[in-house]
Amino acid sequence: MRAGPALLRAGEYLVGRACQRLPRDIRAERYREWAAELPVILNDPQIRLALRRAVRMLGYAAGTLRAAALTDVRVRRRSPATTAVLCSLLLADLAFVGWGIGDVVQAPGHPLNYVRLAWGLLLLAYPISMLAGSSVDAGVLIAISGTLLGAAINFWDAAQAPGDWVNYCVAVLLLSFVPALWLASRWARARRA
Amino acid sequence: MTGPLERVLGAFLTDPAAPRYGYDLMKAARLPSGTLYPLLARLERQKLVAAAWETPQQDGQRPRKYYQLTDEGIRIARLELAQACSGRQRAPAFGGRPAPDSLE
Repeated sequence: MRAGPALLRAGEYLVGRACQRLPRDIRAERYREWAAELPVILNDPQIRLALRRAVRMLGYAAGTLRAAALTDVRVRRRSPATTAVLCSLLLADLAFVGWGIGDVVQAPGHPLNYVRLAWGLLLLAYPISMLAGSSVDAGVLIAISGTLLGAAINFWDAAQAPGDWVNYCVAVLLLSFVPALWLASRWARARRA
Repeated sequence: MTGPLERVLGAFLTDPAAPRYGYDLMKAARLPSGTLYPLLARLERQKLVAAAWETPQQDGQRPRKYYQLTDEGIRIARLELAQACSGRQRAPAFGGRPAPDSLE
């Protein structure tokens, strides 16, 4: 059985994934360029071992993911204001995580403290992923899961103290962020294209 | 000038008139694709490298994109490599600050 076509398809899939991260105006050209190198690598006469050629071809295809991330000029064009907001968010989330750790240390038998700490870590992951230049989709996924977890914690608090309406308000407020985040991600994706 | 950039320019300068493909440059500069292509994109933006597509071949092979140093690119690359070389000879143990008009 010849594995060449399947390997090429795998390589093309990786290159296709990489190109999804690029702006639409250069996406097709980069795909053509990178995909055209795959069969050349797979048939490189200077490498005798077929397995080595396959590994090199897949390594090349995987490397285009990094190339696409570094080529995406918008990552480097982030405005100073956005960076300042993300840094402030990072500091606030660090304080929240520190508070969560304090709660866990004070009451290690209380399971909700661990959930709150996990919530804090999820919130912390958002500015870190944005500052590290992750894709918009990854950032939105983190933000939505963090928001849902926060809403669940506040609903839990509301169930524990049904008379305290603040918990309901916070939970509903957090839930209202989910469609807003989803719409923001759609807008960001459209702008990116 | 960074090490990868130095290697890419060095690979180009081995035969400045020859068109170089991405994979070809990867092998010559011993760089992964994830490092090479952003560098090529930057050099292309700075008009130090020109890119073009080869004409489609009869055997069904997809046309590949090739890169070549422009005249300005050849001049700057030679200058930068000479500076990097002399800098290394002067102070082998310390990294110097890049010149204001360097490729850094």
